[in-house]
Amino acid sequence: MDAACVRRWLGEVAARLEAERDFLTQLDAAIGDADHGINMHRGFTAVMARIAAAQHSVPGQLLKLTGRTFISTVGGAAGPLYGTAFLQAGEALGEHERFGPRLLLDALRASLEGVQRIGAASVGDKTMVDALTPALAAYQLELRMGGSLETAVSGAREAAAEGSRATIPLQARKGRASYLGPRSVGHQDPGATSTALMFAALEQAVLADRSQRFAAGAKRPVSGP
Amino acid sequence: MIQSVGRAARILKALGSESARLGVTELAERLGLAKATVYGLLRTLEAHQLVEQDLETGKYRLGPALLQLGNAFLDNNELRARSLLWAETLAGRAGEAVHVGVLYGPNVLLVHHVFRPDNSLQILQVGASIPWHACALGKAIVAYLEPAARDELLAGTLPRLTGRTLTTRSALEAELERVVDGGVAVEDQEAIVGEAGLAAALFDNRGAVVGAIGLAGPVERLLPDGPAAEAVAAVKEAARGLSRELGAGRLAAPGAGA
Repeated sequence: MDAACVRRWLGEVAARLEAERDFLTQLDAAIGDADHGINMHRGFTAVMARIAAAQHSVPGQLLKLTGRTFISTVGGAAGPLYGTAFLQAGEALGEHERFGPRLLLDALRASLEGVQRIGAASVGDKTMVDALTPALAAYQLELRMGGSLETAVSGAREAAAEGSRATIPLQARKGRASYLGPRSVGHQDPGATSTALMFAALEQAVLADRSQRFAAGAKRPVSGP
Repeated sequence: MIQSVGRAARILKALGSESARLGVTELAERLGLAKATVYGLLRTLEAHQLVEQDLETGKYRLGPALLQLGNAFLDNNELRARSLLWAETLAGRAGEAVHVGVLYGPNVLLVHHVFRPDNSLQILQVGASIPWHACALGKAIVAYLEPAARDELLAGTLPRLTGRTLTTRSALEAELERVVDGGVAVEDQEAIVGEAGLAAALFDNRGAVVGAIGLAGPVERLLPDGPAAEAVAAVKEAARGLSRELGAGRLAAPGAGA
């Protein structure tokens, strides 16, 4: 992956957040304070403006810029939590111009650690960790079994979606939803849902990147001498 | 204990814990009771409008009489009734949401909530239950409890809600001392990441703590560089005024001095 692929990913996240804004807010209205969709959309709108201005950034810098933008523009818990996730992922990628599946694994792991450090959530608490943890595990397992970047991000997307759906029967133990006690049961967690959305966007960006490279590779002999 | 009343209460709680409606069979399975028993209880509850049946699916959900009872509970809460004006004034002055809470076991029960006055969409948090050690309201109340009651809470479970929640007895004891010293309790993302609170205790005519009132909002606004001085002053003033109204009179409430 390179900076162009990271931009494609972030752009895809922004587009999906715009489309899902009302749905996420609706989920949040049931067990939170009805601002998750609005906050995430506002944050990513600001992110897209900032990274458009950062022409020559390497992937790690783009993600760190995303994290800083999130922390400064998004209210509620989503700002610091997602902000930290992106900042930590950016740190893990360092100054590399390109990165492969191993470094992406490090970045995902750093994100989860950052989120857990400030949020103290574990799997089963009905938070974004319920999507992020299985996504990371599925990604890692796929790589261990000899899978490619493409199959690994597909596995992560599937596990994150499943993890977000699995929050429905849970009683929240972290965040505002936990104030509701047993009334939080029966609702899908908005944070886990937006995390699953980010993995779906990641898969799409990686697959689009690959098909573009295939197309470019196929063109070369044709356009050559 | 009357068994059937207990069973009826369990049915209401089961229906109150799910967004989905439940059928007789599901309820019977969940409560480990015979279907005929559950059906009889539901019919009785329905006659009192405590549950109602969905005509299309035949499933049961909570009934409208519960809303009236819930409102009656809030109306009968003297603290809430008296706090309405003070809470509204505080929200207007500070430009933040106001919470009023009472201690209920190891949790703070929110009995009143005034929205942040900025016309944004907000969700009413009345009825929410927050672990005392993680929120400003709880720390403000517990700081002034009788030593025995305070010790019991400090010895209880202190769940971690964020990376910043104070979860040890020693840390909380030091925190409660700070509350008494400053007359205000500070919550720095201890219950929810990104959220802060400032609260002061409320006292009755015997000088006993009966609850707390405070602001809840984004950490960058309430604690820009430590607690915002104006917000702290506004919270203390509201608490002092409300305590007076509750009968604390001229009795100098601890920490309520100017």
